[in-house]
Amino acid sequence: MLLAMDPTQIGLFDLAERRLAWIARRQAVLAQNIANANTPHFQPHDLKPFAAALSGMNASAPVRTQPNHLAGAAGGASQTEFVERPSARAPDGNAVALDEQLVRLADTETSHALVTTIYKKYLGMFAMAFGRGASG
Amino acid sequence: MDLDKALGIAARGMDAQTTRLRVIAENLANQDTTGSTSGADPYRRKTVTFQNSLDRQLGGDAVSIKQVGQDAAEFPLRYDPSNPAANADGYVKLPNVNSLVEVMDMREAERSYNANLAVMQATRSMLTRTIDLLK
Repeated sequence: MLLAMDPTQIGLFDLAERRLAWIARRQAVLAQNIANANTPHFQPHDLKPFAAALSGMNASAPVRTQPNHLAGAAGGASQTEFVERPSARAPDGNAVALDEQLVRLADTETSHALVTTIYKKYLGMFAMAFGRGASG
Repeated sequence: MDLDKALGIAARGMDAQTTRLRVIAENLANQDTTGSTSGADPYRRKTVTFQNSLDRQLGGDAVSIKQVGQDAAEFPLRYDPSNPAANADGYVKLPNVNSLVEVMDMREAERSYNANLAVMQATRSMLTRTIDLLK
């Protein structure tokens, strides 16, 4: 039973942590796109949806049969990041649509607020169980 | 951390747009600057190009100024024999600055700057909310 007290073993905390990491990474990718809104030939990137990233998390990695072989980048950022199909392209080859990117930014912010609120509530329930009141 | 990285990228983006705005200001301020000697070239319009390059301090790609170049377009001529920059035929070379183009460019720079600012505000509120989890 002691094992269950390890916070990383509790499903919801683990899920929230992964989601927050995904949101932070997406935020960096979107910031990159928006900062390059006027860079010639720049193609915007995005991350695969969280559900896809989550299902790929437990995928089996290739086994190294030789210690000399390279480990490879299983589960690295490059696997989930992709260049998106541009909806419009400026004459200089730039394919960033600012409005589209800002909508995604707002979306990321909203889901971040959702996850942190759920996290806090869940933590509050633990506090309640420990008898310290439901402050949280 | 990725959120810090997002803040850094947005800051670099704002920095690049500021440089662009500075060059636009130079162009607009010099739209009537002719040469001082007979037949001399007037002010030549400057251009800014961006690039996405590796920023070692940030540990990732960020936007930066590729170069501040010069517009190779022809100088328009105006007949004004009394001007000190007039050539033998009485024509003065004027700067190849088009104020309409500059103002349009300025609007775009402003729009991009605002977008980067929005990224920063969103990222900051996310960071604050994460820190609030500790309370």
